[in-house]
Amino acid sequence: MVGELLASPAWADHWTAYWDEQWMGRDTRAPDVDRGAFRAFLHSAFSRNAPWSEVVTLLLTATGRNSDGGSRREAEQNDGRQMPSGDVNGAVNWTLKYQVDPQDMAGAAARTLLGVQLQCAQCHDHKTEKWTRKDFQGFAAAFVRTRLIPLDQGNPMGAIKRVELRDLDRAAPRFAKMADLEPILKASPIALDGVDLSAADGVRAALARWITNPQNQWFSRAFANRMWAHFLGRGFVDPVDDFRSSNPATAPALLEALATDFVRSGYDMKHLVRIIVGSEVYALSAAPLTEEARDRDREVKLWERFRVTPLGPEQLLNAVVAATKLDAIVRSTGRLDLDQVRFRVKQRYGFLFDIDEDSAADDYEGTIAQALALLNGNVVTTGASVLPGSALADVLALPGDGEAARIGALYLRVLSRQPTAEEIARWTKFLAEAQTAPESPPVRSKPARPTADAGPPPPNRSAPQAPDPLRGLGDRAGYMQASARVRAWEDLLWTLLNSSEFVLNH
Amino acid sequence: MNQSLFGRRQLLRVGRSAVFGALVARWSSRGVVAAAEARAVKANACILLWLNGGPSHIDTFDPKPKRPSGGPFKAIKARAQGMTLSEHLPHLAERGERLAIVRNMSSKEGNHARAQYYVHTGYAPNPTVVHPSLGGWTCARLSDERAELPAFVSIGGPSFGAGFLGVQNGPFVLAKAGTPPADVAMPRGVDRARFERRQAALDAMEEQFAQLTGDAKVEGRRHVYSKAVRLMQAPKLDAFDLAGETETTRRAYGDTDFGRGCLVARRLVERGVKFVEVVLDGWDTHQNGFDRNKALMATLDPAFAALLDDLNARGLLKATLVGCMGEFGRTPRINAADGRDHWPQAWSAVLAGGGVRGGIVHGATDEDGANVVGPPTTVPDLLATMANQLGLDPEHTEATPAGRPISVTDDGTPIRALLL
Repeated sequence: MVGELLASPAWADHWTAYWDEQWMGRDTRAPDVDRGAFRAFLHSAFSRNAPWSEVVTLLLTATGRNSDGGSRREAEQNDGRQMPSGDVNGAVNWTLKYQVDPQDMAGAAARTLLGVQLQCAQCHDHKTEKWTRKDFQGFAAAFVRTRLIPLDQGNPMGAIKRVELRDLDRAAPRFAKMADLEPILKASPIALDGVDLSAADGVRAALARWITNPQNQWFSRAFANRMWAHFLGRGFVDPVDDFRSSNPATAPALLEALATDFVRSGYDMKHLVRIIVGSEVYALSAAPLTEEARDRDREVKLWERFRVTPLGPEQLLNAVVAATKLDAIVRSTGRLDLDQVRFRVKQRYGFLFDIDEDSAADDYEGTIAQALALLNGNVVTTGASVLPGSALADVLALPGDGEAARIGALYLRVLSRQPTAEEIARWTKFLAEAQTAPESPPVRSKPARPTADAGPPPPNRSAPQAPDPLRGLGDRAGYMQASARVRAWEDLLWTLLNSSEFVLNH
Repeated sequence: MNQSLFGRRQLLRVGRSAVFGALVARWSSRGVVAAAEARAVKANACILLWLNGGPSHIDTFDPKPKRPSGGPFKAIKARAQGMTLSEHLPHLAERGERLAIVRNMSSKEGNHARAQYYVHTGYAPNPTVVHPSLGGWTCARLSDERAELPAFVSIGGPSFGAGFLGVQNGPFVLAKAGTPPADVAMPRGVDRARFERRQAALDAMEEQFAQLTGDAKVEGRRHVYSKAVRLMQAPKLDAFDLAGETETTRRAYGDTDFGRGCLVARRLVERGVKFVEVVLDGWDTHQNGFDRNKALMATLDPAFAALLDDLNARGLLKATLVGCMGEFGRTPRINAADGRDHWPQAWSAVLAGGGVRGGIVHGATDEDGANVVGPPTTVPDLLATMANQLGLDPEHTEATPAGRPISVTDDGTPIRALLL
């Protein structure tokens, strides 16, 4: 099963979404950042399982053209599977994002690649931590030597400006007027361990060599720790990007071993994930240990149970699609390409399920809007319907009279486990009662009263939400007035999809 | 992964009461803090009219008639000494005695995303921490746990969240005023009885999972679900429905999404919502700036003025702080495309109500609107002033996940001259 996951195209989809979010964040408003081309760069690298050191080198030393131009909206919709033309290097878009704040790029590189919080040293020397302003300035000096050559005249609204990124042998003139960058522009580029980063082939190449050098333990440990945290809910060092002497790792020997093995494998990401997912810790259930077991297992205290963490927006959407066969429902309407639908759903619901850094905190609640979307929204409502091709239709079509087998099939599909005897009993009773409950008249749930303003609404240019792509899908897919039995089964699936067991990663 | 619900480990029953106790303690400590601060409170709520894109100060609140930088618009006298406004803000000019115009705003952030973050949070962006917006602080520190409606609502835009204070303190987003919020209505085919059957079934599953995992996040989810269901059934949900307003009122705010947004904002504040942001987008006028500014002001002017009148008529203006601003100003130089470019060096912000002194112009720019004369008002100072009026102590700090104390603004000090 692990092998299948690693070989599936979902591998590249998942890590593209993950690193796109880490590196690009939510902000893509700079007029020349092509988010789609950046994702295409990531997708191509992860598809061929390029070594992590190679991905990072390509990212840090990228030169060339950012984009084919064209509509920003279309670029936003490219999840990385559409490749730009051959002479575009999507990797340059990360540097473009930071074209007016290279100091932030240095901070982001230290944080995401080395697990080091250097940014604080931008403003002050820390009393207890080792980084000084001088360290920061020397490191940041490696990020100011690029020039941007515009390839398009003017800036048509909604279009991506094409630019070419080139290396430069000195600080770029565009920074000269920025007073707060002055110390960085004056500093000579120095790595965090004092290594001089001036080199004949340019400071960016030297920086990439220093970061990805097998001797650089920050690099391998940061990645091993991040992957461990991704799969187990918490890293050896937590937060994952805050390695410092006053925040020591919980099991340093294990982290060390993973990092060393990762370097030895040639920075093979799939190898590292195979090791982590194959570990006994990962196989532990989400149930807490008994007192005796707790005493026995002091070593793995932190991972005594798999920590319960909320699924991210992509993961949750993918989980709902997989559990309900929403993709088959969409296909059966013949209306839209599934990728289009998936993208529009993400656009509409993505921000809703944005989870924050703090999502592992014990008092994490999520938001009311998230709860409403799961309770009443179209993704769950459509997914939980008996429509041609849906998972629920498959389950109801299973031969035999026993509802227990059908409950079992649905549990396996949605929760990846068999129901307990108690659960089967509870649901059997639920199904029977719901079918004998007084027939509800066919209702359209009452949409809140229409607003008084007559006439067509003006086009709303600032609406943060895209129109709901699933709206009315049931009608188009031939939705019919469901029988009491079908309604009861829809309620069952709805319940599983709303449950913490489904929504939380555990 | 595990074919049995109970896995290989034996079930440990964690006292759920302990978990729940911790949650309750957290909420009630928040209540105590709010009560202590309440003594100093001058505003119960804040409405932020967010002019997205960076409005031209010279074409709106800081006119420079007859100067080369002034553009084609005339200036008109407002009802307050020394206050002039663009000729396209006649309704606001009439209400000059309610406005405090801060004309010496100045910052260094000339990039939209960075500046929007700065003006919403009082901090320049910094990759090590995500700062809470003023709305996020308000929600985290001043919301009433028993309220039917979310404490922080954003209309027409996503606003900025509560950063390290957690997503639960971020804005509840209304895509478009005049429509109900997304997904508050039960889905098609589901009536109250069926919804209750579903809830009961879900409750049984959640109970079982909470006992199994002992994880507080399950309680957290149940808590937020109960808030969501309460919102679905809340009588105060009528705040989003404008059918109850008279034709006269609706016409006063203007037949625009922004006008309707301001009207919904008043209805929300009336029903106890603490912080409402209403977004008017389109102020990034690099091209064809004067036609576009004229049209934008035709939307802003009646809506803002009607909001002030309406709040005042209902006795709410004294305790409702209204702010109106964007992320920066625009260049004194008019570019070849008849627009203006980004100009963070000098710009204007407007405050009204909520203990703010009306009828004043605070600070000034030079004759071309290029630079601030004398010491500027910083973004942290402006936000500290607003926070202060809401009863958020500018000195109070909360710890980030890394343990760093962060206050409401980056060293901002409330501007006494703006306050009653």
